[in-house]
Amino acid sequence: MNESNRSLLEILLNDSSFENWVNKSNQNDMEFWESWISNNPDKMETVYSAKSILTGISFNKTVLPEGKINMELSAVLEQISTNDTDKAIPLTRILSSRVQKYTAVAAVGILFIVLGNLFINSSSLITHKTGFGEIIDLKLPDGTSVVLNGNSEITYDKDNSRDIALKGEAYFKVKSIPSTKAKFWVKTKDLRVEVFGTQFHVNTREDKTDVLLDEGSIYLVLNNGSTKKMVPGELVSFSNDSNTVLHEKVTKELSYSLWREGTYIFNNITLEEVMKNVEHAYGVETEFIDESLKLEPLTGGVPNQNLKICLSAIEKSTGTRIVQKGNRLLIFKN
Amino acid sequence: MDDSSEKTIWHLFVEGEVKAFSTLFKSYYSQLHNYGLKISGNSSITEDCLQTFFVYLYDNRQNLGTVNHIKAYLFVSFRRALLKNLKKERKYTNYEEYFEISKVFEFSAEELIVEQEFTNVRSHALSQLLNRLSARERESIYLKYYSGLTTHEIAEVMEISYQSVLNTLQKAFTKLRGHIESGQIEQVFKLN
Repeated sequence: MNESNRSLLEILLNDSSFENWVNKSNQNDMEFWESWISNNPDKMETVYSAKSILTGISFNKTVLPEGKINMELSAVLEQISTNDTDKAIPLTRILSSRVQKYTAVAAVGILFIVLGNLFINSSSLITHKTGFGEIIDLKLPDGTSVVLNGNSEITYDKDNSRDIALKGEAYFKVKSIPSTKAKFWVKTKDLRVEVFGTQFHVNTREDKTDVLLDEGSIYLVLNNGSTKKMVPGELVSFSNDSNTVLHEKVTKELSYSLWREGTYIFNNITLEEVMKNVEHAYGVETEFIDESLKLEPLTGGVPNQNLKICLSAIEKSTGTRIVQKGNRLLIFKN
Repeated sequence: MDDSSEKTIWHLFVEGEVKAFSTLFKSYYSQLHNYGLKISGNSSITEDCLQTFFVYLYDNRQNLGTVNHIKAYLFVSFRRALLKNLKKERKYTNYEEYFEISKVFEFSAEELIVEQEFTNVRSHALSQLLNRLSARERESIYLKYYSGLTTHEIAEVMEISYQSVLNTLQKAFTKLRGHIESGQIEQVFKLN
């Protein structure tokens, strides 16, 4: 097994869209990986290995009866307490001074927590913000999970985490609450997404908002007053400024970029567009030394755990060389 | 138990909270018991060793150092304690030898769940194919799919690198696929 196969295996195993393909759980990912595989027949062996590792083997697990565990526990506890009485006095003294030290540390900790709570209480809005190149994984109080890409922000009222304002880029897995049918809203500068329980991607970079739906169904209420119903595998792009709407099914031919759990997925996107994503997430500027490279197309997954990994993936798939000079990225032909 | 509440429990245990210790005991006893059985093939050795292990853990809680993955830590330290015990009793010179000659990590048909469309015969065949893998391959499969450890945790438990765990798993599945594809599964049917 050579070095490049090895790293591909690792990449596949850690890619959630690949996992979706294995579990046949996501239309977009299935289309993406089917076409990727047919374009990379030499990678079949590694793809199959990754697939079997993810599928794995299911076991009937044996769990010991609770009575048995409790019996064993009391036997152990008995030995512990006998041991304790054997210990000489100086040791207990050392222990108690240790305990005092811990108490002091604990008290300081509690003070901070109380102060923190006061701040939160004084304002009822909660904001989570990421810096350039930072990705955070959030669990909202209602159980919804949000992955926030770099240079992005969500805000919600502490009493209602199902009504969120988003700036930047995020991927949502909304927890459905069947008992109350409580809805979930994401508001951007261009539109409002109305959700029941589903998975989707929202991007408000540039002068528009892109929404791509992976699972479930959602309604969009655009700021121009019209509404749109989306089904899985569709992309809607709306700009308030220019009042333009695009509503299309994601196909192999359509150009789109999406971001999901640490991976950008580009389809038919020019390098210039790709670099805009990078600029937003990492706060860098791009300079094309060779202008013709701007139109170089890119299709594939680009991991963005950090700038270095992200850039080297882009270099490999476009045959370019990207040199970082401080805040600037210079792009050359390789 | 989620990760952060488990860390809190671990912290309380280190400070000497018997209740926290009992919680850890109850959440891991069954899993470690099964793991020990897979290594030793003997329940009384496993149970004796588990008792000594938990008593040792409590007595030495202040000297355990930083523990990042609690589950992996318990698995690896119990594995070491058990192997040390087995070495003493059966006078093995090294673990590698023990792993080679003993029937460690053997799987039975009853333990395997095969998709509904397959019959019982199929899980019998699968258990035989699994048991033909090397001891290390079987252990990594056990830790990943039976005990639910992550690849990083398996690396910690088996004291090998992350990359070696991936290679071991890949080799194991390539072998399994090879066996199945080359129609050896039919031979297994005939043998039974």
